[in-house]
Amino acid sequence: MNASVSAAGVGVRFLFDRENRVVTPTLARLRRRGPETWGLRDISFQIGPGEGVALIGASGSGKTTLLRTLASVLVPDEGRLEVSGRIGSLLSIEAGLLSTLTGRENALLIGVLAGVPLQTMRARLDDVRELSRLGDNFERPVSSFSQGMRARLGFAAAEQLDPDVLLLDEVHEAFDHEYREVVERQVAALLLRGGIVVAAGHDHPMLARLCDRGLLLEKGQLKASGPRDEIVQAYLGR
Amino acid sequence: MNGSRTLRQRLDVLIALTIADLRVRYGRGRFRVVKWLIDPLAALGVYLVLVSFAVSKSGEARGLSIACAVVPFQLVIATAVNSMSSVLSRRNVVLNMGFDKTLIPVSSVLTETAVFIADLALIVMTMAIYRVAPTTAILWFPLIFVVTVVFALGFAYPLTVFGVWYPELRLFGVSALRTLFFIAAALIPLASVEGDAHWLLQINPLTEIFESYRDVFLYGRAPSALNVLYPLAFAALLLAAFAPLYRREQRQFAKVVD
Repeated sequence: MNASVSAAGVGVRFLFDRENRVVTPTLARLRRRGPETWGLRDISFQIGPGEGVALIGASGSGKTTLLRTLASVLVPDEGRLEVSGRIGSLLSIEAGLLSTLTGRENALLIGVLAGVPLQTMRARLDDVRELSRLGDNFERPVSSFSQGMRARLGFAAAEQLDPDVLLLDEVHEAFDHEYREVVERQVAALLLRGGIVVAAGHDHPMLARLCDRGLLLEKGQLKASGPRDEIVQAYLGR
Repeated sequence: MNGSRTLRQRLDVLIALTIADLRVRYGRGRFRVVKWLIDPLAALGVYLVLVSFAVSKSGEARGLSIACAVVPFQLVIATAVNSMSSVLSRRNVVLNMGFDKTLIPVSSVLTETAVFIADLALIVMTMAIYRVAPTTAILWFPLIFVVTVVFALGFAYPLTVFGVWYPELRLFGVSALRTLFFIAAALIPLASVEGDAHWLLQINPLTEIFESYRDVFLYGRAPSALNVLYPLAFAALLLAAFAPLYRREQRQFAKVVD
């Protein structure tokens, strides 16, 4: 496994119209332009194989935007970002799930969209069911799932992508006690294989079990990088 | 080798998106084909009553003539509705992972093409009702089928962007397309329209599509070159103008749908 993340001067800009709706650059030219804000600005860091990195910061500090940029959900408007390796992501409580589809159908869709061949992903679906521990619920529409069940399905589907880089945004906090242990075991195995985990959240004890290193974000800027405990202390002692 | 793997991967993504879309939009189960037929059947019934009693235009096999407009238009309008909501309905996926979003409009067309194929039963049914026997002209059907699908694809790219830019105007988009239906030779064949209106209706590419279906299924003759080339050229123009815009905009979708 040869996972790595390299960010150099990364910035993500949000444009608004006069009614404060987010617009694309093309639409901004057509509508009367409102303010603009940078969700991330001048972010530079490196993450190497086997590193677990916690994103620490207050709500609105840019943690989710950074995770989405790492997942290629957002494209940087400035700077350079390189992520080597297959990405598995769990970036919202909805975990990329479509509520009218069953757990099985959602897992298949997530896998194929992430680049796993259709036949390969079909063959892995029973493993997703097993890892999600959803039992027969796996065959039911996700609309009948609790948030915790959705998070389990999202995590199991992401895991079956055989990711080199796993991105987790607060949703792992929706897991129950029993499933947290499963997540921690999977994350430890991934790190041991030379993978990368980047996790954001406010459950610092859980982040401590997943990550050794921390990045402190504030108003879209990287304020500090270092051992997780020092970063948490710096954040709490602001 | 790498190229064929990428092509295979894109095909897999397209299949997965389309199968999921069919389930999300049309449910599941054996009777979903019936659901697919209800909408065009209702439209055919309403237009037939309108033409028979209100417009009072005579003509041969009126029901079949209208079906030759309603069925292909169903693909265009259903693709439009699908396209305008295609990114928002996949919001959870768009916000959770990076994937090739350039295939979303193609998937919208494929989803509605599956329904369109079922809707063709309506033409077969009206042919039986009016005792219109199929002729060898039916061999032209694959060509006009492709023209209809390409025409729908031409609308899919701009309407997907429109649905993201102006989600509150989606109903307006549908109404605008319905207007396009009524200013085409939809309810009555082009041959029944005289004077300036005849030429004005011909400007609308939908007229050519409807006429090509009438040629093949009702009149038993080959569609004219204009029937085929004009809608294709119109679709090519839309694709040339809006596919690059879509390609650029899809990079920003996650910001807008959040």
